[in-house]
Amino acid sequence: MGLMSFFAPRVPKGVYGLMAEYDGPDTLIEACKAVRDAGYKKTDAFSPFPIHGIEDALGLPESKVGKIAILFSFTGATIALLMQWWTGVYGYKLIVGGKPFFAFEPSIPITFELTVLLSAFSSVVLMLLLNGLPRFHHPLFGAKDFHRVGDDRFMLVIEKSDPKFDENSTRQLLEGTHPKSTQVVESN
Amino acid sequence: MSGHDHFSSMTDRWYLDEGTWAKVRNALIFLAIIGWAGCAAGYTMDHDRFFRSYMVGFAYSTLTCLGGLFFLQVMYLTGSAWSVTVRRIIEHLVAAIPVCAILFIPVVLGIHNLYEWSHTEEVMKDHILSQKVGFLNETGFIIRGVVFFAIWSFLSWKITSQSLAQDKDQSIAHMDTASRWSAPGLVFTFLTVSLAAFDWLMSLAPHWYSTIFGLYIFAGGGWTFISTMMIICQLLRKNGILAKSITVEHYHDLGKWMFATTAFWSYIAFSQYMLIWYANLPEETIWYKVRWEGGWEVLSYLLIVGHFFFPFLVLLARGSKRNLGLMFGMAFWVLFIEYIDLYFVIMPNFYKSPAPHWMDFFGWLAPVATVGVVFWSRFRGKALVPVGDLRLEQSLVHQNL
Repeated sequence: MGLMSFFAPRVPKGVYGLMAEYDGPDTLIEACKAVRDAGYKKTDAFSPFPIHGIEDALGLPESKVGKIAILFSFTGATIALLMQWWTGVYGYKLIVGGKPFFAFEPSIPITFELTVLLSAFSSVVLMLLLNGLPRFHHPLFGAKDFHRVGDDRFMLVIEKSDPKFDENSTRQLLEGTHPKSTQVVESN
Repeated sequence: MSGHDHFSSMTDRWYLDEGTWAKVRNALIFLAIIGWAGCAAGYTMDHDRFFRSYMVGFAYSTLTCLGGLFFLQVMYLTGSAWSVTVRRIIEHLVAAIPVCAILFIPVVLGIHNLYEWSHTEEVMKDHILSQKVGFLNETGFIIRGVVFFAIWSFLSWKITSQSLAQDKDQSIAHMDTASRWSAPGLVFTFLTVSLAAFDWLMSLAPHWYSTIFGLYIFAGGGWTFISTMMIICQLLRKNGILAKSITVEHYHDLGKWMFATTAFWSYIAFSQYMLIWYANLPEETIWYKVRWEGGWEVLSYLLIVGHFFFPFLVLLARGSKRNLGLMFGMAFWVLFIEYIDLYFVIMPNFYKSPAPHWMDFFGWLAPVATVGVVFWSRFRGKALVPVGDLRLEQSLVHQNL
């Protein structure tokens, strides 16, 4: 998960996690809640369309992208102002239209642009890194019927890396949420 | 969908009980009477001061309603579903626009107290003003005012009546009709509000001009409108009305609009200022010069901080938009700052330094309370949400991702 998967994209061989399949969004949401309430953190749900409220049901934390991106935007504003101040007052002193060497008024558009540029770029890059992208393969791709979650399947997976994971008790928990089927996902 | 569970737990009543309605109406009528009594007293004491104070209040209340007209049309054009639970309240505020035409009458009566260009002998001595006489003359001013209000009233009636008719028959045709009128309506709204801002506010300094001024004023109107909505919805909520229908998700979306209009106003206000600063032409810079001296600079600074930095930084965070108490406070801050903004646009044309006057309060209270009475009286016997709208259920279970 997270940044590390970018640098170490290979998942250890063996069991990756347990996956359960459900017949619709309502049962999937109920299963997510049960798994969340049992204390599992390393979980993920898959559905052909966005399901409102599934983040809450899974207990996903709020994205960190915005909080980090705002630091980048402040950095952008600072760089822009310093650059214009330095070039205007020290680096390339030029009198243009009788204006002062440095003033906030004409500096704001460039400050605005650099603020937006850095926050937008950092948001996209952070989003990819925090999602563990880019990566070329994922153990889930080998799971049975997984390619159909883009069509008509609803699936929930609990990863082995979760501290609470135990093949028997986790399977029992999943069986209790009325899935259509469960399977062990292997990484190879 | 999972949403059905939430929907079945909805137990909001969609009609106000007569007692609550009458109580609020009486309070608003009382405020309006106080406002107009204060205005009458002020008028007898000082004509000039009355009309100037009233001008701020008139612009304030009219622009707030027009902000509603903008949002209502945008909501129809974008087919927005989240806004359905708050849309009836928007419609009632928009339906008060024809009453703003009545509020315009004192402005027409005070034309000589307000507008330098209405004094023919002075205009003739002034080269620039005598060139502008084709546009800035009393007949044109009144005719344009009537045309503006006719267009706005027509649009407001056309769109709000569709929603009320849909309550009865639930026909999607009403939604389509409202959307169809919204497209040309939005174009006309922007053009006419821009011209109205030129007429009513920019021509207070008749030598000065700024093509972006109409947007500057309208952006403030949208800002106050969405904050007014925030306050009205939360006041209803505090009294247990629509508390389950307008959820934190809807407040989050209203908060997004507050944030958007904050940024938009700042963008427009800064663009206007920067171009004038850069070109450095005396006939343009004078407008900011008088607002940078004699104590007015305090308001200039207050606008930079209070109209941009403070609300922008507070509203930026997702957490603050979902914090109802904070948003309630911010909405009042917005209403206060927008008054300061209009004060800053209007009053420096007449006074070398800020001279607050008790009439400022009544000049604001009278039009605002009058709009409030009209707004509230429309609640009687009508559902609090557009019960005929096909997207109502979708709106009730709306969630921000």
